[in-house]
Amino acid sequence: MAPPIYSALIISLGLGTTMTFASTHWYLAWMGIEINTLAIIPLMSQNHTPRATEATTKYFFAQATASATLLFASISNAFLTGEWDILQTPNTLTSSLITLALAMKIGLAPLHSWMPEVMQGLSLLNGLILSTWQKLAPLYLIYQIQPTNSNIFITLGLLSIIVGGWGGFNQVQLRKILAYSSIAHLGWMILILSFSPPLALLTILIYLLMTFSLFSSFMLTRTTHINSLATTWAKIPILTISTPLVLLSLGGLPPLTGFMPKWLILQELTKQDLAPIAALAALSSLFSLYFYLRLSYAMTLTMPPNNPAGTLPWRLNTRHNTTMMSLTTTSTICLLPVTPAIMALLPF
Amino acid sequence: MTPAHFAFSSAFMLGLAGLAFHRTHFISALLCLEGLMLSLFIALSLWTLQFDSMNSASMPMILLAFSACEAGTGLALLVATTRTHSTNRLKNLNLLQC
Repeated sequence: MAPPIYSALIISLGLGTTMTFASTHWYLAWMGIEINTLAIIPLMSQNHTPRATEATTKYFFAQATASATLLFASISNAFLTGEWDILQTPNTLTSSLITLALAMKIGLAPLHSWMPEVMQGLSLLNGLILSTWQKLAPLYLIYQIQPTNSNIFITLGLLSIIVGGWGGFNQVQLRKILAYSSIAHLGWMILILSFSPPLALLTILIYLLMTFSLFSSFMLTRTTHINSLATTWAKIPILTISTPLVLLSLGGLPPLTGFMPKWLILQELTKQDLAPIAALAALSSLFSLYFYLRLSYAMTLTMPPNNPAGTLPWRLNTRHNTTMMSLTTTSTICLLPVTPAIMALLPF
Repeated sequence: MTPAHFAFSSAFMLGLAGLAFHRTHFISALLCLEGLMLSLFIALSLWTLQFDSMNSASMPMILLAFSACEAGTGLALLVATTRTHSTNRLKNLNLLQC
């Protein structure tokens, strides 16, 4: 893509999210979300393959429907209460409709069906932008709704955790696995949102770190299938150590960073007398752990001197820019002992 | 719920049902999307007229601009889909199944 067009699209992506972050009026927030959608469509379909075009089409339909529903719910709220202010959305039917529209934007169950197919058709960099940057604006709006009735959030959260785990069971394509993992993590975030919004913010931040590390590892070796994960030891051996640790951190195992949000969320849910929901969420995240373990097994536990899993590629010396990746991978593995410091930094 | 509110709400719901249950052609989904945007345009114009509020008088025009951009994007995707998938039937979008 020509550099001026590419930079205009990236600037528009940044502009859209910034506009939503800076707005107190529902209309301006909707405008920012629309700019985000319109800017990423050419980025997603830039290599004009059939899969990329199909993924872009499905993404466009899901996002356009969700945006229109969001604006309709805001206008209905304005007609019923006279308020356009985001912080003053009282808890009526329209607040639930806004929540559902934003849930479709980020791919929460039961509005998640576009997510795996869209992620499958994109390149790894576009998939990274889709799972990290495109989630920020709608999550910010959900964060600000501040509901008093938590039923819809608990339902969305539990369904997403279960669907995110169960859906990834039979997958061998890495991008679909990443889509289901995104659904599950956003489910954890939504679950705690009505009880402790700072914990939801912590979950978002740690999810962004972990997803960035994982996508960067896959981008270095350009793997999109479990079969090509098995020859990582021949290309970049250090990845066979770091990527399984990142995967287990995504699965939420101590002593890695991914345990931190799950632990704090379970503690908060128990304090709110919702221990059965906490137990259900914890048990359902075992599904996700299964496929993370399968990826780690394919990468690390099938190394020589076992039988090689595929034809061995040439080891070429290529220069990779791993600055951001090394920072996020270290954070993904080592941040659990500084949990008290992190909890002091967030406004609890 | 005032009659005006009911009118544009039902128009929106009809368009949303058409978008959700479209089965054959890509272009009918795009038409339903345009119908959604039209109902929202009517809603915003009604807000300005009914409540005599000039603060939000520019909102329908901005909505029109964004809706035109979205329609253009949708049509560009229709052309791209027809080039790569040889048809605009929705059953042909089956490359990305599990």
